[in-house]
Amino acid sequence: MKRKVSLFISIMMVLLLALTGCGGGSSGSGDAATDPIKIGWIGSLTGDQAPWGKCESQTVQMLIDETNAAGGILGRQLELVALDTKGDANEAVNAVKRLVSQDKVCAILGPNASAQALAITGVLESAGVSDIATVATNPKITVNDDGSVNEYNFRVCFTDPYQGAVAAGYAADILKYKKAAILYDVASDYSQGFMQYFIETFEAKGGTIVAKEAFKAGDTDFRPQLTKIKKADPEVILMPYYYKEVALSANQARDLGIKATLMGGDGWPSDTLFEMAGNSLEGSYVVNHFDYNDPDVKPLTEAYIAKYGTTPEINCYMVHDAYKVLLAAIEKAGNADPQAITDALTQVEVKGVTGTIKLGEKTHNPEGKEAAIQKIQLNPETGEFEYAFMQKYGAN
Amino acid sequence: MSVFLQQLINGLSIGSIYALMAVGYSLVYSILNFSNFAHGGVIMLGAYIGLYALHLLPMSFLGALVIAAFGAGLIAVVLEKVAYSPLRKRNAPSLYFIISAMGASIFLENLVIATIGPTFKTYPQIFNPIPFTFGSISVSRIDVLMFVIAAISLAILVFIIEKTKVGLAIRACSYSSRGSNLMGVNVNRIIFVIFLLGGMLAGIAGMLFGMKYTVYPQIGVITNKSFIAAVFGGLGSLPGAVVGSLLLGLIETLSSAYIASQYRDLIAFTLLIVVLVIRPSGIMGKITEDKA
Repeated sequence: MKRKVSLFISIMMVLLLALTGCGGGSSGSGDAATDPIKIGWIGSLTGDQAPWGKCESQTVQMLIDETNAAGGILGRQLELVALDTKGDANEAVNAVKRLVSQDKVCAILGPNASAQALAITGVLESAGVSDIATVATNPKITVNDDGSVNEYNFRVCFTDPYQGAVAAGYAADILKYKKAAILYDVASDYSQGFMQYFIETFEAKGGTIVAKEAFKAGDTDFRPQLTKIKKADPEVILMPYYYKEVALSANQARDLGIKATLMGGDGWPSDTLFEMAGNSLEGSYVVNHFDYNDPDVKPLTEAYIAKYGTTPEINCYMVHDAYKVLLAAIEKAGNADPQAITDALTQVEVKGVTGTIKLGEKTHNPEGKEAAIQKIQLNPETGEFEYAFMQKYGAN
Repeated sequence: MSVFLQQLINGLSIGSIYALMAVGYSLVYSILNFSNFAHGGVIMLGAYIGLYALHLLPMSFLGALVIAAFGAGLIAVVLEKVAYSPLRKRNAPSLYFIISAMGASIFLENLVIATIGPTFKTYPQIFNPIPFTFGSISVSRIDVLMFVIAAISLAILVFIIEKTKVGLAIRACSYSSRGSNLMGVNVNRIIFVIFLLGGMLAGIAGMLFGMKYTVYPQIGVITNKSFIAAVFGGLGSLPGAVVGSLLLGLIETLSSAYIASQYRDLIAFTLLIVVLVIRPSGIMGKITEDKA
């Protein structure tokens, strides 16, 4: 009996401590006019997509430092709270819950992948805090199947249907291909959406899909599928997935003697891609968000290299534009209230490095951006592979 | 026909990677009666050791392979001392060993993420990347090399187990470690040898895997498949691990080629479950009751 009483007392004491702890915490993170404005960031700092996530969080930190050095915004400093999602949708939900309840951020930037961006919709809605995704291209992130818009989900990149339609249009109209094969990741929303719209557009333009093979993220061997694709003899193979699998499957395709042109989207660009599969990718086409050699893009590249010593990934540019949109929205809202910022997000227009961005009210997607078609080529002078800009191309 | 032959070669190549990894599971299981889930972590570290041996020390492929094998062997032995030996001394049930193994596996993965980093590393090009071709069939050089090295390593292992005194002791322990102990076999020494041998195979498997694909902290995940292959073949049986692995590789490949690639894992694992329901000890495993 004595033990029970002492147990009860200790439980009560722990609870009391926890409660007072919470009280102290919440008064510290209040919305006083002098406190820093907290901006959340989520993305992969570990796992397969870590190179992108790391670059993205570093870029946001760099931009926030710049803003703070220039006097902050609305007379207040900015503070970044960056949380790792480990590339996992459940972790993304946990991270957002923490950001909105404990850290009380005014808005969230990231994540860098569709599955995570889709998963956090419910939490954003119940907390009334907005998220601007960077390279999450699945259409359902902002617009549901019934056409309604998710109030708190925004993005600065184009969507998978758009990417798929651009890739198919370019393959059929410009490259004049008639037979296409597809290898896709059956476990990825990104891959499925991309593929679906590629097929629709390619067939509408008179082309035929001669083979359609699937794998599951995490697989390392694609030769059974590629052997079947080789038999179907396509002119182009669409590879709508991320760079690790792209490199492995491209190497294995060339090993099997497949000569077809390879084609992909914004899941490809990464420094590691060429290291893993340079020769196998020569002559491939990539649908990208922007062109690295664009003069608008270069100052950011240089600033990033100066600060971190490495060349930035594509996420650097996308999160830069997301940050600019958010900053403009905070300014327009005139305070750090999450709802006021949400309302302002579709009311601002900013000139980012990837183009002029105006988020549509009905879609929460950037309106009127064109994709950049790039070809992977060996630069004979440097002996290194690079993305050669072919043309801007929009889906119609 | 040529497509079928190509698919057979694809299947065998996948199966031989599984085999090198699966044998490590079987070795430990045959003596300690638990599944060493930290084996994946040791394979991953073996891949990194091989990579850095090639980069930092100007040495041949074989030199790096030997360093990877001994490095991984050493790690496996240390792991045994830290994660399993204390449990063994307290006669802990096998469930505790499995939990400790899972903890060690997560620890190793995160250790690498924190120190080396989460990014992908590629091996330098050691062998001619142009594959051998026979008509429309192509076989990459690294696959041939893997098959040969896997066969040689497994042959050496079988020789040690079948023909040497240590091997005799290992076999005795796998039959009954308590009985062997009573007969004067130093069981602790045998466990050391088991982990050293299993770790060395893991190092070889890791380096070959890294050369063929790429190196990253989550490589260990592929050992899930090789573990299942070991169960399929019969945990505790070395020939079983090899046969199970090759079969799993072939089943996966052929179901992906002739049924549907998206159903590959579904078909392969349904088949495994069916086999295990009919014969719970796997294709070549001993019936558990006979063993202990």
